[in-house]
Amino acid sequence: MSGYFLGIDIGAASSKAVVIDSRRMIAGAVVIPSGTNYATTAAAVRDEALRQAGIQSPAISASAATGIGGRNAGADSYHGVIICDARGVNLTFPNARTIIDIGGQGSQVITMDSEGRVINFNVSEICATGSARLLQVVARILQIGIDEIGPLSLKSTKPSSFSTSCTVFLETEVITRISQGDRPEDILDGIHRSIADKISGMSRGVALEKDFAVIGGGALDSGLVQAIEEKLAVTALVPENPRLMAALGAAAVAHGHHAGK
Amino acid sequence: MEYEASKLFFAGIDIGSTMSKVVVVDAGGKMLGYVVGQTGAEHRRRANKVMEDVLLKAGVPLDQVAYIISTGYGRVNVPFADRQVTELTCHAKGVASLFPDVRTAIDIGGQDAKVLKIKGGRLTDFLTNDKCAAGTGRFLEVAAETLGLGLNEMGQISLQSDTPVKINSLCTIFAQQEIISRLSEGQPLTDILAGVYIAVTTRVVKLARQLKVEPPVVFTGGVAKNAGMVKAMQTVLGTPVLVPEEPLITGALGAAILARDEAFKLVKDGRYTMEKKQLSEAYIEFTEKGR
Repeated sequence: MSGYFLGIDIGAASSKAVVIDSRRMIAGAVVIPSGTNYATTAAAVRDEALRQAGIQSPAISASAATGIGGRNAGADSYHGVIICDARGVNLTFPNARTIIDIGGQGSQVITMDSEGRVINFNVSEICATGSARLLQVVARILQIGIDEIGPLSLKSTKPSSFSTSCTVFLETEVITRISQGDRPEDILDGIHRSIADKISGMSRGVALEKDFAVIGGGALDSGLVQAIEEKLAVTALVPENPRLMAALGAAAVAHGHHAGK
Repeated sequence: MEYEASKLFFAGIDIGSTMSKVVVVDAGGKMLGYVVGQTGAEHRRRANKVMEDVLLKAGVPLDQVAYIISTGYGRVNVPFADRQVTELTCHAKGVASLFPDVRTAIDIGGQDAKVLKIKGGRLTDFLTNDKCAAGTGRFLEVAAETLGLGLNEMGQISLQSDTPVKINSLCTIFAQQEIISRLSEGQPLTDILAGVYIAVTTRVVKLARQLKVEPPVVFTGGVAKNAGMVKAMQTVLGTPVLVPEEPLITGALGAAILARDEAFKLVKDGRYTMEKKQLSEAYIEFTEKGR
């Protein structure tokens, strides 16, 4: 089998495209903000991934899309993000059996078998708690960049404690903690623990087996990953680009379909 | 009795997450005055200020206030209170004093919501939400901020719509994004606002239905001052709701009436002098450190 395979993930916050070759090696990978017009975004993210891979549209043998706006992405097929996450992580870490995906708009805990087939999952999407959204809110209050959150939080010695898990109420409580003299690193550490608690709660009823992979935008935050490791008493694998897993998985699904699997 | 009941006054003070309320009643339980102010960060200072204001307004000197009960989320921060009582008890008392037949009371505050079942003036059951901003006044504040409107203004505009837009998101954060998307889709502001009130109400009514909603229903709390909210509540419940003239002060009113009952009980038991002494100590603290 020859040719290339395209996976597109149009998420709430960012859109990703991955091109893989017939041996399922990544040839191009792109992340851009989602914006408001998903069809335009999908075209833009696809074109950029093709350009990176150094190929033209006809070289794509099959494509698949996922994510909240994936149905408007103009791909050959659409698949749920849970399935794509599992396939992408399976390709990256063949020994991973549990995935914690922390996205901008919601989180999911997924368990899978050695082939990357989903066994069980829990999704939090009705509530912003447990998603990376809280980190954006807190970064804005503390006037720091998203990238600075992880390294800064790791310096914490006395994590702030919070009485609520609601993102809206936490915003107020963070301001109260600042006025009480809590240091930014301690506030971030406390917030990370709050998210880790919520994720741990989501894991209830799902039999978690190692290896653990943490993916999604939240996995870029080293402090959050550490808080989750501590809370669940596990060691987490984090892909080089954790935001690409669903798009990579979609590309793998397209590849699989084409191969008649 | 050595105390002349007609010269005694009683106060209830309710320090809420957003607003502080105080009510003064006479020996007959009649309200002589009330004051409402923003709570802010310094509860003690605020408690003193609203107390001072209400006594001025009611024309009652503090040393004639025989008993004070504090309630609400900041009730521990009222140095001159004789006793603290939970807001549920005070609230039920206050609502039942205004509407003796009340069976269901729904209170939506700045950061919480409560549903009380009341029978014969007594609290029989309750449910509260203070975990999630959806279904509290905060949801409305976030919507108002997002749209750049005042809270009252938002209520008035919403009344022009009979076709509310459905807000699907439960979470306040996601609803905020949904409001923006609906606007960008070109939905009329009036319909979006009506939809916002329906969304908050639906959330609270879901809580209320767990306890079975029986009429008469009384709707209180700061949020009940909003015309859009009252309309939405009647729509979602499918039954008329009673709203007190000043829906913010039912907790403080209940506390004041409980203060009267408590003081009368102490007088009857011959234990009132001790309480009087405590009150004067509190008065010194109030006047010396209060400002």
